[in-house]
Amino acid sequence: MVGPIYIIVIALGIAFTLGLLGKASKSAGWVFVLAGLAAMTFISAQWLVALLEGSIQGIQIFTAGYKPPYSISLQMGLEEAILTTLINSLGLLSLLYLGKEMVQKGVEILMVFMVFIMSMNVTIMTRDIFNLFVFLEIETIALSGLILLIGRKTAFQAGIKYLIISGIASGLLLIGIILAYSHVGTLDINGIASANNGLFRIAPIAGFLILISFIIELKPFPANGWGIDVYSASHPGIGALISGASATTGLYLLYKVLPVAGEEYLYFITLIGAITFIGSNLTGTAQSQPNRLLGYSSIGQVGLVTMILGLQPILGDRTLYLAFTIIISHYAAKAGLFWISGMVNSSSIKDWSILRKKPLLLVLFGAFILALIGFPPFPSFNGKWEILMKLGESNQYHWIAVILAGSFIEAIYLIKWLGYAIKLDEPVENQSNFHLTKQIPVWIMGLVLFGMGYYLNPFTHYAEAINYIPLLFALLLFAIDFLPVSIKNTITIAGLAYYFMLLWPAVEGDLLRQIFLVMFLGGGILTLLAGYSKKGKRPGFYSMAILMYAGLAGLLTAKGMYDFFFSWEVMTAGSYFLIIRGKRSLPHAYSYMLFSIGGAYLILGGFAIAAASLNGTSLSALSMVTVLPTWVYALIAVGFMTKTASLGLHIWLPGAHGEAESDVSPMVSAILLKAGVFGLLLLFISIGATNPHSQEIWYVLGWIGAITTLMGNMSAAFQEDAKRLLAYSSIAQLGYILFAFSMMTHIGWLAGFTYTINHFLFKAILFLIIGAIVVKLGTHNMYEMGGMIKKMPFSFIAVLISIIVIGGIPPLSGFAGKWLFYNAILEKGWYFQGALIFFAGIIAFLYLFKLIFSVFLGQVKDNHRNMKEISAWVLIPSYILIIGIMLFSAFPKDVLTPISEMIMPYFTSETLVWDGTKAMTSMGYWDGSTIMIVVGTAFMLLLGWLIVLSAKAQKVEQFNIVYAAERPFRPETTHVSHNIYAGYKKAIGFLVSPVITVFWDQASTFVLDFAGWIRRIYSGSIQNYAIHVIFYIVVFYLISLGGL
Amino acid sequence: MVKNTLILLLTLGIGLIMYDVYEDFKFQESLPLLGDYYARNAASETGSANLVTAVVVTYRGFDTLGEVSILFLTASIISFMFKYKEEHATKKEYRPASELLISSTQVFTPIMLIVGIYIFANGHLSPGGGFQGGAVIASAFLLMLLANPGMHLSHKIISRVESISGIGFVLAGVAGLVYAGGFLDNTVLSKGEFGHLLSAGLIPIIYIFIGLKVGAELSNIVSTMSHLPKENN
Amino acid sequence: MEQVIIITGILLIILGIFGIIRSRNLVKIVLAFTLFNTGLNILMISIGYIRNAGAPILSQIPGQGEIPNIVDPVPQALVLTAIVIGLGVTALMLAYVLKLYQDKGTLDINSFKDLKW
Repeated sequence: MVGPIYIIVIALGIAFTLGLLGKASKSAGWVFVLAGLAAMTFISAQWLVALLEGSIQGIQIFTAGYKPPYSISLQMGLEEAILTTLINSLGLLSLLYLGKEMVQKGVEILMVFMVFIMSMNVTIMTRDIFNLFVFLEIETIALSGLILLIGRKTAFQAGIKYLIISGIASGLLLIGIILAYSHVGTLDINGIASANNGLFRIAPIAGFLILISFIIELKPFPANGWGIDVYSASHPGIGALISGASATTGLYLLYKVLPVAGEEYLYFITLIGAITFIGSNLTGTAQSQPNRLLGYSSIGQVGLVTMILGLQPILGDRTLYLAFTIIISHYAAKAGLFWISGMVNSSSIKDWSILRKKPLLLVLFGAFILALIGFPPFPSFNGKWEILMKLGESNQYHWIAVILAGSFIEAIYLIKWLGYAIKLDEPVENQSNFHLTKQIPVWIMGLVLFGMGYYLNPFTHYAEAINYIPLLFALLLFAIDFLPVSIKNTITIAGLAYYFMLLWPAVEGDLLRQIFLVMFLGGGILTLLAGYSKKGKRPGFYSMAILMYAGLAGLLTAKGMYDFFFSWEVMTAGSYFLIIRGKRSLPHAYSYMLFSIGGAYLILGGFAIAAASLNGTSLSALSMVTVLPTWVYALIAVGFMTKTASLGLHIWLPGAHGEAESDVSPMVSAILLKAGVFGLLLLFISIGATNPHSQEIWYVLGWIGAITTLMGNMSAAFQEDAKRLLAYSSIAQLGYILFAFSMMTHIGWLAGFTYTINHFLFKAILFLIIGAIVVKLGTHNMYEMGGMIKKMPFSFIAVLISIIVIGGIPPLSGFAGKWLFYNAILEKGWYFQGALIFFAGIIAFLYLFKLIFSVFLGQVKDNHRNMKEISAWVLIPSYILIIGIMLFSAFPKDVLTPISEMIMPYFTSETLVWDGTKAMTSMGYWDGSTIMIVVGTAFMLLLGWLIVLSAKAQKVEQFNIVYAAERPFRPETTHVSHNIYAGYKKAIGFLVSPVITVFWDQASTFVLDFAGWIRRIYSGSIQNYAIHVIFYIVVFYLISLGGL
Repeated sequence: MVKNTLILLLTLGIGLIMYDVYEDFKFQESLPLLGDYYARNAASETGSANLVTAVVVTYRGFDTLGEVSILFLTASIISFMFKYKEEHATKKEYRPASELLISSTQVFTPIMLIVGIYIFANGHLSPGGGFQGGAVIASAFLLMLLANPGMHLSHKIISRVESISGIGFVLAGVAGLVYAGGFLDNTVLSKGEFGHLLSAGLIPIIYIFIGLKVGAELSNIVSTMSHLPKENN
Repeated sequence: MEQVIIITGILLIILGIFGIIRSRNLVKIVLAFTLFNTGLNILMISIGYIRNAGAPILSQIPGQGEIPNIVDPVPQALVLTAIVIGLGVTALMLAYVLKLYQDKGTLDINSFKDLKW
């Protein structure tokens, strides 16, 4: 083993030797320093490996050979080994990244760079507080020099601000140190800490001064204008170091000096962390300059870790591990992002669309963003999960709220940025430079991130390796992204089929999950069939589709809340990337993602509070919630309702589903929405029908369902855009489903299941076919279509059948749903809601008629004369689904009986009784199979008669009509189906005025305005920044006087 | 106005904090833990008569390495900052220094150099040491530059001295690690006879390195600054 | 008598911080910073003071159990370090100020607000 002291010897030796090299060999100096950093990395890494293996113990190094406190000692334990490895390797990669700039700028900056890395190693290892002060000063000074690397004049302004503020902070630290020394007579950190437990403890003022100076170094909000200036003024390569290495070190130092200050400051630390986490992210939302934005985000993340450190009493011995999960995600992600920022080299996040030229970097960019927000499979996900659960167990709800709110605010700007990179047009001019030596460090950080996500896995007792198999499959698909669509499509379908077979035994005997598995994966395979009609390569499509389906399937196999939430987030991420692929999807995918993340956090919050009263986090234990049960149920339910797009949370759906690609719409509509339904079902089952804490919730949910249905149907009726019409129809159908399940009666649930299955079948058909037609005709507007019945007869029949199902017209299965539904309403006695639903059902006919009439009937438009039937690859899955509808309609008993048996234990209410093919309730009876036969026969007879008649029919040519002399201003307005329901709109249109959209718009405007207002305090003036810092110190001193 | 009031209030706040510092401040009645140990044992352990030196160079020698690095950093950063200007700078016209300054420089420079060397070589015996001696040496160079503004101190030599003394310091530390108890342990060499010039093991040698390094670093800063291009306004 | 020293140190610190947040001239800010530093150093050095004790330079090695009557050498060593650090930081600040002055031809802090929000 090479002693850790050699890290310092090598660094300083090389730094001093560089002066001998002179100007002649600039690149030799760079190579020299690179070799030195490699050696330093090697030393710390070998300690890390040995300590992890447990083959050696951590050691203390006594300088000058005397034991502490008489000399300065350094420590190399696991914590130090991890951190020094992180810092040295980041230094190595940064130098590699900065190669050319460094070589050009000469040998001095290399010296500074080397001393900078060395100083952080010492601050981490030293156990002497004055020595800590000295090397902290070195770090500060070195950093103020590194800022200048960029060669811009603003760097000098950032540098002087940084020097002055850290000068104040270190001065206060010095006062604290000497006060401490005067009381305990030692400078050894362990010595002071143990003295604190004894008689000669240091005074609160000394503890305060020591602590506050380390906090100031961490750039707490709002006293951090200078810190953000440093981020934005320095070279992105240096930004990576500040964010990845300097901030990491600073956090560890805070942890290290906490015992010196005393435990009474822990609450204080948590508070500071919380303010910083929320405040910094909030101000970040108004930022558009990449480096500055990254600065805000870094400070926010540091705030989160600060909070974690302050929460030590709750997190116990997991504190360091949990802090590490966040730090490592931040370390890798932020370094990678800064490096990419250096390559993109633009002052606006909108120019990041240039990344599309480098798919691998784009993927890594996405991974970095998701890791920062805390998506699986990255370490921050596990960390956040465990932190929240622990907080929940200790009833620390306000901190749960803070962490979730901060994470959400962070997602606001990060997701926006991601969307820009994926969707915006590539910038006309750019100064980007994707040199290979600059890309390699980013790749390595990507590997670190994924590797850590997997490697940290064994340390959390929740995670299982099986979660990663689908993710690997997604990666594999990304690796073969260069292949044509047909091959990737086949592989994906095969993968889904295999996964289906794999999972089927796992859900054996569990009908609920079997139904959903068929919908999720079976539906997935069917909708993917339509993918064969696509041309080109569809880069990234299949990886993301796999992610979504893996998430969906994971929901079904989840045993505990953790697995469930893991899958939920995987599904959310995958579906976001699918939705954003549509041509005009950017804003819609953005709002989809924000609602999804918000909903997910509500679920997480609910789970966390539930964890308070449960032993363990198994899903079935949700029924035993004793602490704040109503809150838990409401939070989780609302969370799921963001996915089912219930009233108030629906505004993302029309755009997201309407603008998605033609085969993505059925996936997200027919399949993805069912994830929310499944979640609600799980929740309802766990709660139990008779739970006293949830009766109000169901009543409210029932109303929400009813109003959602009415609103959805009306909005659909007034749509001109075919796909949006279907999207609104989805909202309405999900309203029915929510209503049906909320009744919590046996028949209500049967109705709910019937509706769920029906919606899956017909919405997949409709979106597949209408989506394909929209692509084929090149317009979304129905009044620009028409007469397609002859060009696309198969499509027409499929749409007609679907419409019959939606309308609930006998003999198809829609009627079964309706029949059960009204039975259940009457039994439950929800008459008012029932009336609303009934009214909504009538309105449904309006849009259904509009859809089929405008698209298929009427006159063919001139430019559509040569249209042919849509691709067989779209028709095949549609007709398979139609077979499903027919079977369900003809043999409802075979489906409903098992479901009825499954839900039997949950309800004491009246059940459906079967007499042969006749279903009976106390209200009446219905015989699906007989009706099917009767109506089918009648239909065939009528059809035959019509065919006979049609032989004698006379055709009317299209132009056999009288034209007006005038050419209308907007010709399309003369089309019969344009604004077809103007009359109704006049009468009831006010009901669909976009109150809710306006509400959310104003909420987001308010947040952005507020952020814009807050960031005005960052006026750029050194004086103001100094005032902020002093103000911060004085205020917190007064608080600590009051609170301690 | 608001700002001024705020500043006043903040000063009061700082005053409050400092008042608490004052309250907490306690004068020592007797030597505290560390001081007591050093008073008893430092002389015998290190062989240095000046206990401050013993603390600075040996017990807290690691701090001192840091200090040297700080000056080194400052010098590097300053020369980095002004490097590019220097290359484009045209030959400058200096106002000649006064006769008095020139004459006294000729008298004092050698004396100052000798005093500087004396101070750092005797750091283990009397008040003084590497930093103080180095500062005196650098002021000798400053004086020379003032007397003769056009003079060019050789950067090459300065940086050689700086590098070599720096490496020497680090190597002396490593010698302690290899041949004695730990990094910067001064007992690699014999402790010698207490109170003599050649005593206290490595301390005088380390202090010579420090003195040279500090002198070179400060001279480096001074000379960088003295060759700045003239302002245009 | 010792109180005077501490009070001087503390006053210098307060004055220094006041100067940093009050001045609009960069050089004055740096000067205020050195005042702050000086105050710190005074405070530090006085912590090791013991009434009627001598300088920590011995004429002979103390015997077993014998405590020489000297002041605490540790704060003196610390203050030496602190002074050198203060010197380095001040020199660097002045270099920055010079650079900023060359850039804009003024020392008024309000001219250096290019980075904000």
